[in-house]
Parts: sequence; C-alpha cells; structure tokens
Amino acid sequence: MTVQVLFFGATADTIGQRRVDFELPPNSIASQIFEQLVAEYPSLAKHRLHYSVNQQYATGNETLTDGDEIAIFAAVSGG
Amino acid sequence: MDFFELTTEPISIESVARRVVPPECGATVTLDGYARQYTKDKATGEVRETEYLEYEAYEPMALKEMEKLIEAAKSQFEISNVGIVHRVGRLEIGETSVVISVAAPHRRAAFEACEWIIKELKRTVPIWKKEVYAGGEHWVEGDASA
Repeated sequence: MTVQVLFFGATADTIGQRRVDFELPPNSIASQIFEQLVAEYPSLAKHRLHYSVNQQYATGNETLTDGDEIAIFAAVSGG
Repeated sequence: MDFFELTTEPISIESVARRVVPPECGATVTLDGYARQYTKDKATGEVRETEYLEYEAYEPMALKEMEKLIEAAKSQFEISNVGIVHRVGRLEIGETSVVISVAAPHRRAAFEACEWIIKELKRTVPIWKKEVYAGGEHWVEGDASA
C-alpha cells in the first residue's frame, strides 16, 4: 500500500522535501514510517515530534490503510 | 457567528472583532498577537533581534483544530461567538500574526475564554513560526505537547 507523508517547518527542512510517498506492507503502523525516516535522517530524532493520520493527532500506533495522509512535525509554534 | 481562517493578507483587527458580535452580547475581548522584535532565548538568556517571521501551516488540519478549539471553548465558558484568524507567510516586525475575538454577554467569560484559546492554539494548532535574524534563522518549537 502507499501512504502520503507530509513534512512541515523543521521536519521539512531536515528531510529536504515536503511530501514523500511511502510504500508499506499491509497493516503497518504510523511509527514504522518514523523509524525508517530516523534511520535515514538521524537528526529528526532531536525534535519533539508529533504525528497526524488523516489530519487528526495520532499516537503512532494507528494501523494505516492505503491512501492515508500522514504528517510528521515538530511541536507547533503558532500564535 | 463563529469563524476560523488562515490568510496570507494583513489582518484587520477591527473587522474580526466586529464580526463576532451578536445582540445578546455586552463585551468582546480581542487578542492582537504580533511579531515581536526582540526575543530572549529561553536556554541561553541571550536577546536576539528578529528581522522578520515566516509562519507555515498544515492548512486543512489547522482549520480543523481551530474549529475544535472554538467548540471546546463554547462548551466551557459562557460565551456566544468566537473568531480566530491566523496569518501565514512572511510577517514583518509589528504585523499581526493572530487575532482571537470572543464575544460574551459579560466580560469575565470573554477574557477567560480568550486566554484559554490562545494557550491551546499555541499547543495544538499545526502552525509553525520561523524567526529570521541577522546571521541565521530557526524554526521555533513549542513548549507544550499536544
């Protein structure tokens, strides 16, 4: 299955992209994406990261389905 | 009526404040948050002069979170209407980044709700601020976890 992973702010700068399509085995969970990314970009781990799945805050334990929209971002700083 | 918006254009504070007012209300509290020139680094205590700010939003999720905040505020406080407008893109020093207007029959609830909403917005709404200063820039990371 394919999921779309979005990055913003600090995570977009670290990854060097704002959107990556990920191929994952069926029944993967959101945190598997994070583990793969940290292996490739170790400096990601220095941020306090949050996940969302389909534009809702998530814990990382959610089982993903084809076409899901995931975002991985540092603690927000609006206002 | 309630409203929540993101915009790349300068925000008119008065137009936000006036849009929330229904006939049963007697007070509107409006927060005008704007780009600060001098920021003290929390870790080092060093004061840095910001040249400008860049705000970025995960727009569809930011709007959903703003809507949730308004619903939550209305269930906790005796208020009638809430308007939230957050700017994104480049902001010069002194320009308004966020306006929150809360209209209520009585002022106390409006003050309390406005304070609660900005605190929650800074914790949960997916918007990020980059400070650009002489010799560098950095994405600000929030204090609290969502």
